[in-house]
Amino acid sequence: MDLQKLYALKSKFVVRTVGNELILVPLTGNVAQMNELFTMNETGKFIWENLGEMTTIENIENSLTATFEIDADTAKKDLKIFINKLETLL
Amino acid sequence: MQNSIHIKIADFSIKLYSETSIELEEGYLPFVSEDEKGVDDVTIHCFSGIPAIDFQKAELVFEAKNEIQKFYSIFRSDTGLGFIIYNQQTKDEVQQIAFLDETFSQWEVYSNPSSESSRWPLKYPLGPIVMHYLTVKSNSVMIHASCVFDGKKGRIFTGFSGNGKSTISKLWADAGNRIINDDRIIIRKIEDNYVAFNTPMYYIDKPKSTVLNAIFLISHSPENKMKKISGALAVSKVMAFCIQNNFEPKLIQNHLDFLSELSMHIPVYELGFVPDASVVNFILANESGRIK
Repeated sequence: MDLQKLYALKSKFVVRTVGNELILVPLTGNVAQMNELFTMNETGKFIWENLGEMTTIENIENSLTATFEIDADTAKKDLKIFINKLETLL
Repeated sequence: MQNSIHIKIADFSIKLYSETSIELEEGYLPFVSEDEKGVDDVTIHCFSGIPAIDFQKAELVFEAKNEIQKFYSIFRSDTGLGFIIYNQQTKDEVQQIAFLDETFSQWEVYSNPSSESSRWPLKYPLGPIVMHYLTVKSNSVMIHASCVFDGKKGRIFTGFSGNGKSTISKLWADAGNRIINDDRIIIRKIEDNYVAFNTPMYYIDKPKSTVLNAIFLISHSPENKMKKISGALAVSKVMAFCIQNNFEPKLIQNHLDFLSELSMHIPVYELGFVPDASVVNFILANESGRIK
């Protein structure tokens, strides 16, 4: 999945920050999908908030290493977890 | 029979009126209020007969339906929301057409003359829909839950259908405690407290309420166990059982804001329970001392 697809997905959620975490509620037109809420930890919240129209995978990985003082491999792994999680929402 | 009826649900004032006679189903009768002073939170103008309205050009924003039948559809218009309400007995027959203004304060409800809704305008599912839109405009939520008051504390038990909401409230009642309701609760913030109110059901029960002290997310389990949860997890899990129509970002945001604040003041627990009397003492023994 590319980040532009993820960015396009952002408008389909209403979000709320609770502490260092994020809650995502999907906008839906069907009562059967109402219970599908999602939460993200601090790293996921950071990626979500920094996901812009022109963001690249490299941008995010660099931001993660700088902000959380982690190495490049860990940043790649965190981003992969984030993408995998969002893919389940599609 | 009368042309105007006031009811109070969760301390909200609702006025129904019509040019013809209207009645309420028996579950609503204990909620009838003689107090006609003050401002109504919602007015419902009831009509007999369904006007010819072409919904084809309106934007369909939400459908409440399952594999078996439709409950209602919501359309957005320039002046508010339009609802098509389906008869739950005949399944596809239109029971009512309703319109709600942008402020969520004024309903116009048109009932099919051949339907019981012509006599009872709040016939299911319109009654709960009216209650839901009352909550979204007024800093409160409606949740699928049972609620019990033990003389000191109010506790809500929520979970998926079949997870034991009625069972656990009956166990508390058997232990001498008071059931507020075992299916649908409105939670409001009133001054510094969160208060849980019952709502009209298909059976007769008088209006009841309790200050809320704890929320339990329940499931059946081979042994009694409970764990306190907090933060985003607690908010999202409680919200999953709130009644909501998730097509409008502002309404979702209102719910999220309300529940985020609630979860900072009211402890939320995951509770696995054995469906016998032991769960009552288990909860009493294991609740956090922070419960007021």
